[in-house]
Amino acid sequence: MSNLIRAELFKIRTTKTWWIMALIYLPLWGMALLLNWWQTELVARDRFGDVPAEQAEAVRAVSQPDALAANLYTNGQFLALLMVMLLGIIVVTGEFFHQTVTTTFLTTPRRSAVVLAKLAATACLALIFWLGTTGANLLAGMAILEQVGVGAQWGGAVWEAVALNGLAYLLWAFFGVGLGTLIRSQIGATVTGILLYLGGTIGALTVLAMAASKFGDWVNNLQLLVPSLASALMITGVDIPGEPPRWAGAAVLIGYGVVSGLIGILLMRRRDIS
Amino acid sequence: MTDGRSSPDTTGEILVSGLTKIYGNVRAVNNLSFRVEPGRVTGFLGPNGAGKTTTLRMLLSLVTPTAGQATIGGQRYASLPDPLRHVGAVLEASSAHKGRTGINHLRMICTAAGLPRSRADEVLAQVGLAPAAQRRFKGYSLGMKQRLGIAAAMLGDPRVLILDEPANGLDPEGIRWMRGFLKGLAAEGRTVLVSSHLLSEMQLLADDVVIIAAGQLVRQGPVDRVIGSMAQTARVRVRTPQAETLRTALEKASATVEVDDQGALLVVGADGPTVGRAALAAGVELHELATERPDLEGVFLELTAGRAGIR
Repeated sequence: MSNLIRAELFKIRTTKTWWIMALIYLPLWGMALLLNWWQTELVARDRFGDVPAEQAEAVRAVSQPDALAANLYTNGQFLALLMVMLLGIIVVTGEFFHQTVTTTFLTTPRRSAVVLAKLAATACLALIFWLGTTGANLLAGMAILEQVGVGAQWGGAVWEAVALNGLAYLLWAFFGVGLGTLIRSQIGATVTGILLYLGGTIGALTVLAMAASKFGDWVNNLQLLVPSLASALMITGVDIPGEPPRWAGAAVLIGYGVVSGLIGILLMRRRDIS
Repeated sequence: MTDGRSSPDTTGEILVSGLTKIYGNVRAVNNLSFRVEPGRVTGFLGPNGAGKTTTLRMLLSLVTPTAGQATIGGQRYASLPDPLRHVGAVLEASSAHKGRTGINHLRMICTAAGLPRSRADEVLAQVGLAPAAQRRFKGYSLGMKQRLGIAAAMLGDPRVLILDEPANGLDPEGIRWMRGFLKGLAAEGRTVLVSSHLLSEMQLLADDVVIIAAGQLVRQGPVDRVIGSMAQTARVRVRTPQAETLRTALEKASATVEVDDQGALLVVGADGPTVGRAALAAGVELHELATERPDLEGVFLELTAGRAGIR
C-alpha cells in the first residue's frame, strides 16, 4: 500500500498540475486575506453601526477575540477547499483523460487499493496545502490582530478552529476523489464540482433563507447538510447563537467524505477499462 | 505476499475458455476458447472489430467477461500476486501522461509495483530509448511510444508478454527490430501473444496463429499447418503455347482451369507434378510451371470472408 501511495504522489509530482494550482491559489489567498483584514477592522472597531436586534447576539459572538482570530487563522478556506476538491478530481479523472488508467490497473489490478492510495495521496496534498496556508495565515493574522488592537489570540478555541480547518481540507479532498470516480470526464467533473461548490452554496443559502421565513427558524439548521456551509461552520472558533454546533458540521462532512470515498471504490471495482 | 494467493505455475500458458463479452446486444466476444503455449510467438489475428482487443483486455482483468474465463499460468490476471513480474502487456501506444518524461513514466510503474527503480533505466536501454529518457511523452514519435510501452512491459522481467498491435506506427526498421526482439523472448522460453492485422508481418514473426472473426474462433494452430489446411485451394500456374490442348487434358482429370489476363492457365484441383505429367502425356510444351502457395493473407481473407466489418 505504501508503494501505491508513493506512486500516486510521484504521479502528481512529475506533472505540472500541482504548481498550476498553487499559482492560481496564491492571489486568491491574498484577496481573501485583504477581505478578512477589512472585516476584522470593522468588527474589532465596532463599526457595524446599527444592527437589527435579532442579529445583535450573533454579531457579539463573532466579535469575540477568539472568533476574530479563528477567522484570520483559517483565512482562504472557501477557495482552498475548492482547490483541494479540484485536485482530488484531477487525481482520478486525469487517469482517464490521459489514458493512463490502463497502465495503472495493469500495474495494480486491485482497484480498491488504487482508489485508497489516491485518497491517501490526495489527503497528503491537502494537508501540505493546509500547512502552507495556515503558516502564512498565522503570520499575517498575528500582524492584523496586533494592528487592530485585539492582539494575537492563542487560546484553545483558536487551535481547535485551525485543526478543524485541516479536517475540512482532508474531507474536501475526499469529495474530489469521489466526484472524479462518479464523473470520469475531467471537464465534466471539474465543472460539476465548481457548480456544486459555488452555486450549491449560494443556491442553498437562498432556498434555506426563503424556507426559514416561511416555516420558522429551525429550517436554518438544515444548512448543516450543505457541505460547504458545514465546513464554514466548523471553523467559526465559537458557537454562534442561532446556528448548529460546530461538531455537527464536522460530523456531516465526515459522513459525506466517507460516502463519496466508498462510492468511488465501488464504481472503480466494477468498471470496464476499454 | 501473505494473503494466501498461490503463485502461478511457471509454464506461463495462456488459457481462454468459453470467453464471452456482451455489450448491449452485440456479442463482442462469443464463446471463445484457445490456448497459447510458452516458448512460441503466437499471432492473434482478426479483422477490425473481431474482438481482439476486448479479448486481451479480459485476459488482463481490465474488462469483466460476461461468461467464461481467461487465465495466465492457471490464474486470473487480477489474482496474480505481483502481476508485473509474471505478465508484461502493451495495449495502446498512448497510455502515458503527455507531460511526464519517459523515464518518469517507468519509475512511476516501478514504484507502484515495488520494483527497483534501476529497472527503468535498464529496460529503456533494452528498447533503445535511453537517449530520449528525459524527453516528455508528448515529444515522442509513435514508434518511440511503442518502444516505451514495450519497455514498461519488460520492467518485471515477465514470463508472459501480451502485445496489442505493437507494430502500429513502427517504421520498417522498427518492425524488424521488434520481430527480432519478440522472437528472442520466445526463444528464451517466454510466452508471447501478439495481436495484429499486418498479416505479412505475422507470417514472418509467428509460430502459431489464433484467427478470430466476429468474436468467434475461426482457426488455431501452427502457421504452417493453418496455411497447409487450405492447400487444396493452392493454384498451379502454367504457361504453354498449346493452352487449349492442356486445358482439355486437365479438365478430363477433373481439375478446374481458368485463364488469366496474360494467357496463363490457373489450375485448381491438381498439384504441380500432376499437371506436369498431364502435359507430358498430351505432348504439350511448357514454358512455366509454378505452384502458387497460399500465404497467411490469402488464408486469412478466405477464412474470415464475409465475417469482417462493423457489427
